[in-house]
Amino acid sequence: MTDFNVSVREIGSVNVIDLKGYLDAHTAPELENAFDKLIKENRYSIVVNFTDLAYISSAGLGVFMAFVETMRENEGDIKFSNMTENVFNIFDLLGFPMLYEFFKEETEAIQKYNEKVKS
Amino acid sequence: MKLSGNNTALRNFSALVDFSNLINSSLDLDFALNNLMLTCFGKFHTTKGIVCLVDENGLLQHKISKGYLGEIAEKIPAINASEIDTCEVLKKFKEENNIPICKKLISTSGIVGVIFLGEKITKLPYEKEDHEFLTTIINIASSAIENSQIVAKLKTANRNLDGKVNQLSSLFDLSKEFSGILEENMISKMVVFSVIGQMMVSKYAVLTCYDDEISILDSKINNDDLTKALSGCGLKNISSTLTKTEIEKNNKEIFDLGIELIIPMQIKGENKGLILLGKRISGAEYSNSDIEYISSVGSLAIISIENAKLFKERLEKEKIEKDLELAKNIQKNLLPKKFPKLNSFEISAFNETARQVGGDYYDVVKLDKNRTLFAIGDVSGKGVQAALIMANVQAFLKSICKQNLPLDKSTDLINDLVSENTSGGGFITFFWGILNDETKELTYVNAGHNPPLLIRHGEITKLKKGGMILGVMETLVPYEAEIIQLEKDDVIVLFTDGITEAMDTEMVEFSDERLEEISLKYASLPAYELTSKIMEDVKVFTSGAEQSDDITSLIVKVK
Repeated sequence: MTDFNVSVREIGSVNVIDLKGYLDAHTAPELENAFDKLIKENRYSIVVNFTDLAYISSAGLGVFMAFVETMRENEGDIKFSNMTENVFNIFDLLGFPMLYEFFKEETEAIQKYNEKVKS
Repeated sequence: MKLSGNNTALRNFSALVDFSNLINSSLDLDFALNNLMLTCFGKFHTTKGIVCLVDENGLLQHKISKGYLGEIAEKIPAINASEIDTCEVLKKFKEENNIPICKKLISTSGIVGVIFLGEKITKLPYEKEDHEFLTTIINIASSAIENSQIVAKLKTANRNLDGKVNQLSSLFDLSKEFSGILEENMISKMVVFSVIGQMMVSKYAVLTCYDDEISILDSKINNDDLTKALSGCGLKNISSTLTKTEIEKNNKEIFDLGIELIIPMQIKGENKGLILLGKRISGAEYSNSDIEYISSVGSLAIISIENAKLFKERLEKEKIEKDLELAKNIQKNLLPKKFPKLNSFEISAFNETARQVGGDYYDVVKLDKNRTLFAIGDVSGKGVQAALIMANVQAFLKSICKQNLPLDKSTDLINDLVSENTSGGGFITFFWGILNDETKELTYVNAGHNPPLLIRHGEITKLKKGGMILGVMETLVPYEAEIIQLEKDDVIVLFTDGITEAMDTEMVEFSDERLEEISLKYASLPAYELTSKIMEDVKVFTSGAEQSDDITSLIVKVK
């Protein structure tokens, strides 16, 4: 029905999830599946790249809430990058900057993980 | 001297214009206060100052201070704005901290705050013209402060409004999605994602309670712990939202799991499920508006869950009905479609099952050139079990009649076989006979079936000879057969108790008497017409009542 796509790239030890289209109640389970798969493969360091995401509903945000603890318990995290202003406004409105790190560029988010590994 | 006085006035004036321009150039509150303070410092050569503003409750709140070491903010009494001139505590505070200046900031809508200034570095007192200058810049500052406060309030209001709009659009989104989904776990996923995303919660559970059975659809809490905690709390009785304090007081086990909000999902006031939520990551309490949102999501969800349930039940029912329809067709095919043409006999039959599958049975099988076997039976019970036993008997009958055994011996055998196959108390009333087309001789055995009526010259003889019902136990006492020499125009009426026990709307039975009466009345008609007469009479009698049993009749008429 709605157009949505999730794909995962591996950059070193960091996993980048690219989102495309509309992330709402209908498509949220697709993103959930992607997270489930990553956890099954013990991949916990995640950067979500929002470059091509046109819309997100609170159900979409819920997926991140559902997984962030698991990632952090396993020394990983979910970090966000390349958000358009519209999409960021929704995250901001619901108070997400309190709990998550947002980056302008994907590379900055990956960098953050790598610094942590070095230290 | 005059010139220098003019210069001072000019300097003051230009300072005021500068200050006014600056303070009105931004709507940022901190910027305005900072400038007010610095302007005072520059003008009066003091290094200490405090600004307090009146909060929404009318109390003074410390906003900014400069030049003080330590926590000056805590020492300022939180008094009502109207008490500034009279409060003894404030007076004492000013004396202790060496504050000569305390001036109210007054805008068009009243007191917005107060400014305190310490003594001048020169230790000189504040002159009259200092006071005048201060009054002027305070007037300018007050309206600027009020403006920026209003803007801040508007920003908050706007953000709250945005939040509300977001909740509404999320609800709208969900209501569209829910209508198309008929899987319970998908529905609960959508509930979970929408609620935890909107509320920023990571601990949750969604469960349904149908017929007192709790099923957890989704949860981030150990399921065993949750089930244990829930078992003691009478879920059905939770009729309204429970907040943190209520849960802590009344449902300690659940509170200990970290649950701070319980919202029931109801249909027509009946509890069908619950949404349990833990602490919000932001630390904020759940507001009424949040609870409204979660309740709305819950209501949408539970209706979809109910629909999903009904749909599933409907599917299962349809599948069973389809299976039964198939069984009915198979069963219909087990009954003879046409009867052999005989020289001395006419045979006619009627059968109607009350349900999709029935337990009545009749058959007509030509054994050889002269002999024809006919049978009628009624399996106890109804439905699938009866239908299966009936099919079983039919198979026995077909194979046994090929053995060419005497009818009484065959009955012994068929009883043994049926007994073996009907554990659990299924049994069959059964009657069968062999017609000899050449000699018009009838041999029959009645195994507990309603005795068929032999009508001859307006008299009825009941064909009772035989033995026990089939299937009760294996044959101990052999069945007995009877041989009767039939005559022209003799009629044999075979029937099941579905006819004699058929009821009208008043629960009165059709009765043996009525069957005998109508059989006698129309005995002269051809077999198939007599069959129709009997059936019509049963139909008329039971009109308006539900058919409760299978109805079968088989009529043999001697030509």
